[in-house]
Amino acid sequence: MNDTNVETTSSDLEFSTFYVGGALCGINILNIQEINKHFEITKVPQASDYIKGILNLRGRIVTIIDLGKKLGLDPVTEDKDNRNIIVNSEDEHIGLLVDAISDVVLTQQENIEPAPSNIGGVKGKFFQGVLKTEDQLIGILDIDEVLKE
Amino acid sequence: MFEDDETLQMYIEESLDHLGDIESDLLTIEEGGENIDLDLVNNVFRAAHSVKGGAGFMGLTTIKDLAHHLENVLGLIRNSELTPDSNRISVLLKGFDELENLLNNIETSNDIDISSHVEALENITKSSLPEEQKEMVSEQVDIVLRDGRIFKQVSLYEVETYKNEGKNLFLVEYDMINDIHRKSKNPLEVLNNLQKTGTIVETRIDFTSVGTLEDAGAPNRIPFQVLFASIIEQDMTETLFDISSQYIHMITDEMIMPASESTDEDQPALEPAQETVQAPVQEAPVAEAVVEAPAAAPVQQASPTPAPQVVTEKVQKTTAPAAKTQDKDLNLGAKPQTSLRVNVGLLDTLMNLAGELVLSRNQLLQGINSSNSKATELSSQRIDMITSELQEAIMRTRMQPIANILNKFTRVVRDLSQQLGKSIELEIEGKDVELDKTILESINDPLTHLVRNSVDHGIETPMEREQMGKNGTGKITLKAFHDAGQVNIVISDDGRGLNPGKIASSAIDKGLISDARVAEMSDKQKMELIFLPGFSTAKEVTDVSGRGVGMDVVVTNIETLGGIIELDSTPGQGTDIQIKLPLTLAIIPSQITSVGNERYALPQVNLNELLRIPAGQVKDKIEKVGDAAVVRLRGELLPLLNLADMLGIERTYTDPADNTEKVDRRKNIADRRSKTHLTAEEAAEQTEEKEMVERGEDRRYHATSAMNIAVVSAGAFKYGLVVDQLHDSEEIVVKPVGRHLKKCTAYAGATIMGDGKVALILDISNLAQMAELSTVAEAGQTAKAAEEEAAANADKVALLTFKNGEVEHFAAPLSIVERIERIQTSDIEQIGDRKVVQYRGGSLPLYELSQVAEVEALPEKEQQEVIVFKVKDKELGLMVTPPVDALEVVLEIDTSTLKQPAVSGSMIINDHTTLLVDIFELVKILNPEWFKEEAQAAASMAEDGEKILLFAEDSAFFRNQVKSFMEEDGFKVIEAEDGLIAWELLKERVDEIDLVVTDLEMPNMDGFELTQRIKNDPQYSHLSVIALTSLASEAHIEKGRSVGIDEYEIKLDREKLMSIIRKYVHL
Repeated sequence: MNDTNVETTSSDLEFSTFYVGGALCGINILNIQEINKHFEITKVPQASDYIKGILNLRGRIVTIIDLGKKLGLDPVTEDKDNRNIIVNSEDEHIGLLVDAISDVVLTQQENIEPAPSNIGGVKGKFFQGVLKTEDQLIGILDIDEVLKE
Repeated sequence: MFEDDETLQMYIEESLDHLGDIESDLLTIEEGGENIDLDLVNNVFRAAHSVKGGAGFMGLTTIKDLAHHLENVLGLIRNSELTPDSNRISVLLKGFDELENLLNNIETSNDIDISSHVEALENITKSSLPEEQKEMVSEQVDIVLRDGRIFKQVSLYEVETYKNEGKNLFLVEYDMINDIHRKSKNPLEVLNNLQKTGTIVETRIDFTSVGTLEDAGAPNRIPFQVLFASIIEQDMTETLFDISSQYIHMITDEMIMPASESTDEDQPALEPAQETVQAPVQEAPVAEAVVEAPAAAPVQQASPTPAPQVVTEKVQKTTAPAAKTQDKDLNLGAKPQTSLRVNVGLLDTLMNLAGELVLSRNQLLQGINSSNSKATELSSQRIDMITSELQEAIMRTRMQPIANILNKFTRVVRDLSQQLGKSIELEIEGKDVELDKTILESINDPLTHLVRNSVDHGIETPMEREQMGKNGTGKITLKAFHDAGQVNIVISDDGRGLNPGKIASSAIDKGLISDARVAEMSDKQKMELIFLPGFSTAKEVTDVSGRGVGMDVVVTNIETLGGIIELDSTPGQGTDIQIKLPLTLAIIPSQITSVGNERYALPQVNLNELLRIPAGQVKDKIEKVGDAAVVRLRGELLPLLNLADMLGIERTYTDPADNTEKVDRRKNIADRRSKTHLTAEEAAEQTEEKEMVERGEDRRYHATSAMNIAVVSAGAFKYGLVVDQLHDSEEIVVKPVGRHLKKCTAYAGATIMGDGKVALILDISNLAQMAELSTVAEAGQTAKAAEEEAAANADKVALLTFKNGEVEHFAAPLSIVERIERIQTSDIEQIGDRKVVQYRGGSLPLYELSQVAEVEALPEKEQQEVIVFKVKDKELGLMVTPPVDALEVVLEIDTSTLKQPAVSGSMIINDHTTLLVDIFELVKILNPEWFKEEAQAAASMAEDGEKILLFAEDSAFFRNQVKSFMEEDGFKVIEAEDGLIAWELLKERVDEIDLVVTDLEMPNMDGFELTQRIKNDPQYSHLSVIALTSLASEAHIEKGRSVGIDEYEIKLDREKLMSIIRKYVHL
């Protein structure tokens, strides 16, 4: 997480935040390829239950993961606010289906506190840390951990 | 060393190219033997030479050494001083193999020990030379230039050879900087040009003279030295080499010195006499330098005695090259074969197509921007066309002729057969068939394995072959051809074939399969057991075929490529293995199917046919074996898999009202959800269906819904995949799926359909495994096999059934029936106690069964059915009561219960007890005078001494029946219950037996094999064999002829059989 952006100082971090299963989570914006709302998803029978299906993203086959289910929360319910967050992991594009997208938060590394063992019912291992803002708590997701099979 | 990767890469490619055809050339040379084809030898010689030339320049000492020794031997062959016998060719072949290996592992090549090759090659060279020259072969000399520098370690033999050819030797010192780079030349080009006027003996780069950066007077010259032999004179050299005469040294005899012994450091370059060179070389030292120079050890040792051979050889081995060289080599890291040669014409086509594509895109964009639908449509059509052409052209760049891999099998077969002491001829057909490069590369190993198998296990030794009456030289054919958009490769041999029994017992021993299951298998299934993992039919693992990989690996490899493999073998005749491969892996033709509202692509390569069972027939055609559904397809039982059940697809549909997905409660996709859009007809249909559902029946297998089945095959398994709908066949582009889906083995990948949605590609063989289809298939196949087995073992006979009285059923062998007639009762004439009818210009005697047997009399009718038989060339009619019907049955005759005159026994046919009429006996009873001849013959035979027949027949009925014919005619009969027993009996009593009569279908040993054994054994081959068969097909007869059966006879045709027997025992 030492990735830096030219515009920000070395300790500045930007997180894209979103709601999933009622919880507010964030992903470092540098991990995100794009956010879209393509839902022409093809189901893959026999795949793990958290896999929503596969999607054609400009000629590439992208696996869509129901982030709610993956984190052990309620599955994402179909809604017009649903979005796929396409992240790049191990040279592969993977889509995280979330309930809704929220703001982009700018903060510094020192504001991030270690994650407790459990955040709102989600195992602590999925998080790199938590960020407390004035009114809410944002769980910063560890993408590699979340995408482990 | 400084030469760049590019040059090295070029060298490797060029060298491999040179080596490409060598193998077949060498093999042709070997075939030619004494008659040396100079062109071919030159070809190979030049190849070795070019490799050597480049290697010296690149500092690849090991390669250079090896190539050099190869060249020596080839030189001798070229000058007819050596005959290329097979041992020598073997050494050469191995040498070239090693050379190729070195080139492929260029970065480690200098560390590889090639001493065994070098030694073998040297021995060949030496053997052809007179005694005094022998030493020369491995002897090294140094060349001392006038300025005192030494060009070390040159082969004396080579120098002498060139001198003897009347050539001058020159040492040419190019400068890499001024003469080559500044003139935009490439060192390899320079070498190639030189080759035109002479022969390059050695090339080296002198790094020591370059010095280091720290040295004062930075070097401005990197000498690149070429030792060159040519017939041109010194005065021409300047023009030829295009450098100043200062750097051209003509080598005279006095400059050649015995090699220095202190050559532990293997300096590949000119070594200055002084340890450090401070002045650049071109400041040429004056001639006195030779005298003045504090000569290093080698120069002082100007003694004529050659250095001991041991030492010099050690130098050649070069196990530890100079550190400098090694460092350089590690940096090379170049892998050959990463580039592909593409026809320039093809590239031009691609370029044109790319241009076209850009144009069409522009038109399309314009069309879209101006909302001109016609323009858009036109350009989209163009793009469609261009894309197809582009796809095809790009495909072609990847296509390589299969000859690339097939050709090398000549060598494989040659080497192996030599090793195994077999004589085998290899025939290759269809070399120009092209395949995708990746497929070609991956098919190499499986093919090698199969060919090795054929050589090792398939073809017998010449002795065995001759014993079996085959040509001592075996034949293996490799055939490649296109068929139905696939490439087929067939490997066939005329060897011993697969022995199903042996395979099965081996599989049982290895615990791969149970006894019980084997017992139910057909021969073909038993043969296919060799595809099981862990199976290897060799008794001991040889290094030939048994390298720890079995046929299962071959199958897996081929299936990974989307191919299939089929096996066909006839014991004693040979084995055919057929591999079917797709042309390419990236784009595959597929059948699109759907289940629920998802589409699935089914690779065409796995697809055999599509089957639609109309609603009305579902109930009849779909059967259950255990829990598994099977369908009967042209007499075969095909296990069925329901894709929806397999994948656990929950049927859902999108409700048009609120756009949400709902679980579909329909049992079948054809059902309608609501009545809103239905036509009256459909509504009626639905009501009917609804009733069905309400009755709680699973309509999936119910008679009212048609079934769509894709009949697919994966390896040995063939099954029917039940899908909801069958759509079009499309060419799809295979795309990999993400890592989260890797464990879903049911899919081979995914593809993007025309509408942008993704469809999964089914993996047919994994699906079969998931369903544990092996068991399902076995259930089906076991049932089938049991049926087949029974059918094969029991003899089927064609019978004509009829009635006599209203309730009595009879049957007679169809084979002796001439025809069936209907006559008017009024036409029957009564003459004495005989009845006749005028028939075809003669009188046909008429009989009825009640005349001889205790059966009801025929009822009186206006018309009479008459079955016309022919016995002893005379026709006679048997009056019967219809229905007259022909059918094939397995004879299980009760010969005791209802036996009576002219009735040989009874059996149940179609639920009726049916009496089997013995026409022959009937005639005999009625017309004993017809048989006088036979009676006489029998009597005379009794006088002359009995003729003994060996009769093999497994069915007790036929055995007794035929035996009684024979005995009645005065023969003595030795009975055997099967071929094996007959064989044993024959061995014991060969002197007594006059003729063999055998059934064809028998357990343990069938009639074909029995005949083959008899005919192939000189002790018995004088015996004639008459085969008795119930159903003689053309194929059967042909097969019988080929094993040596003398005559075929139909089982129940007594008269013909006996006359043939008489003919063969010369009565």
